[in-house]
Amino acid sequence: MKPPTIIVCIKDIPDPEGPRSAYEIRSDEKRVVPIGIPPVINPYDENALELTMRLKDRWGGRVIALNMCEKAVLPVLKKALSVGADELILLEDQAFRNLTSYATAWVLSAAIRKIGDYDLVVTGRQAADWDAGQVGLLLAGILELPGINLVQSAEIEGGTIIAERLTRTGHETVMAPLPALITVSSEVGDLRLATIKAIQDAKKKSVTKWGAADLSLDFALLRSRVIRSLTPPPPPSRHCHFIEGKTSEEKAENLAARLRRDKVI
Amino acid sequence: MDRILVIIEREEGRIAPLSYELLNAGAELSRQGGEVLCACLLGDGAGELADEIAWYASEVYVIDNPLLSHVQPDVYASAVEALCRAVNFRTVLMGHTHDNLDIAPKLACRMGKDAITDCVKIERDMDSGALLCTKPIYGGNAVVVLEVEQLPQIATLRPKAMGALERGNVRGEIIPFPCELHPSPILTISLVHGESVSLDKADAIVAAGRGVKTAQGIMELEALVEALSRHFDRVELAASRPLVEDGLLPRSRQVGQTGEKVNPEVYIAVGISGAAQHMAGAGGSKKIIAINKDSGAPIFEASDYGVVGPYEEIIPAFINKLVVLP
Repeated sequence: MKPPTIIVCIKDIPDPEGPRSAYEIRSDEKRVVPIGIPPVINPYDENALELTMRLKDRWGGRVIALNMCEKAVLPVLKKALSVGADELILLEDQAFRNLTSYATAWVLSAAIRKIGDYDLVVTGRQAADWDAGQVGLLLAGILELPGINLVQSAEIEGGTIIAERLTRTGHETVMAPLPALITVSSEVGDLRLATIKAIQDAKKKSVTKWGAADLSLDFALLRSRVIRSLTPPPPPSRHCHFIEGKTSEEKAENLAARLRRDKVI
Repeated sequence: MDRILVIIEREEGRIAPLSYELLNAGAELSRQGGEVLCACLLGDGAGELADEIAWYASEVYVIDNPLLSHVQPDVYASAVEALCRAVNFRTVLMGHTHDNLDIAPKLACRMGKDAITDCVKIERDMDSGALLCTKPIYGGNAVVVLEVEQLPQIATLRPKAMGALERGNVRGEIIPFPCELHPSPILTISLVHGESVSLDKADAIVAAGRGVKTAQGIMELEALVEALSRHFDRVELAASRPLVEDGLLPRSRQVGQTGEKVNPEVYIAVGISGAAQHMAGAGGSKKIIAINKDSGAPIFEASDYGVVGPYEEIIPAFINKLVVLP
């Protein structure tokens, strides 16, 4: 088999493990400003990168990491190069700000068409900031590729992809002809660590920037999300009653007694 | 005449409770805007359930096709697309279910639109006609209301986000909708059914988090499940995502944003930090009891009762007390 070309779509988001206080809600500007938490590659995109690298371990070939945003955060995205991607393409333009999922998929599809020759597109199942979970399958639809959602493992065989995708309680093994697109779930496992040498080598790898003008884009398709309001979540509706006691046993007894008194149990 | 379409969810050959919540969301919109409330049943032999749904919607479209015998998202999306092209719907409402994570974007793409997923509230702006979709973002650290103008407006609604629609006293019209479908480009080779658990039907849940690191700990919680069975009909063991990823419990027991949404009478969170992503699944519980050794864990802000201490000591003592309670 000819070594495959795999395109993996990644983006950075504020660290989703950050505490609530790290998300400043600017309702007047209708946006969230992260305070004191670093941007990271979306964890599901890291899973996508890991699965891509496993395929590269097996088959060799070329891996292109693709990012689209208003202003790329290069130090974060370069992680893709240090874990084994051969090339990083940044789609960077003011016009790419606050796009809808469909418009995002459209821009990515234009870039992928420009890349031209590829066998597989890999995305995370969703981005842990807006959690829409749509761009991957919309991209598959626009490129007219079979789109397999929520993949936990995948193998390339001949001209096909064989993937295990999650069902609600188990999993399903499916097969589709290449080129295809898969969206990857956290079940794949964590992204490998980069070696020092790989981090050094990554500096020599190619980073390409394309703006809107470099892509054959119909600007009418660059629709923005229309945000009516963006507010903090409602305050917690529960008030926690702490169960006291000198020892764990006493706390446990007091808990049972209290739950009985309140008719919870 | 404007129409609203609700895609009916089924489970094990019956109508899933979520369907009545979707119908309620659709009925709310139609009360405001006067649209005709329509429902769509898809499946092989889907017509059997049409009589029941007809008591809830004015028009029930039935797409009965052998290619719909098991959920193949591309085929389902094409079937709904065919209906949307034949009948103009202003709004299409679907459940935010596992299958619809796949079907909704595929439908949206076929219609050249976005879908708004995982909404907790769906309203109409009566001036502009836009659909207003409320959804938590940034792991529940913010709430956004998005406006959708383009038709059809496609949204998926989070289970348990609203109550069920009451059965009406007028029977709607049942309309068979035959359409030509093609097999999916994605072939199923094999299907592995995991453990089938109905966390959404449990009335008490014991949930393990990252603080419960070992199989020994899980066995301790199983003993608590057993003890609670004296007081509740259906008690289930559940877990937060990290524990499932460590392989300690199967994914069918995962509660949270990418797992199940539950609403038991009692939810006992053991060693769970209380990240917004987890609470997105557990928040519907009537009473939440948190047991955690870290007094600063965010779970306590989201709980009704809190016990600070090591679960290894608290749970056995709690079990001892439960078994002697009448």
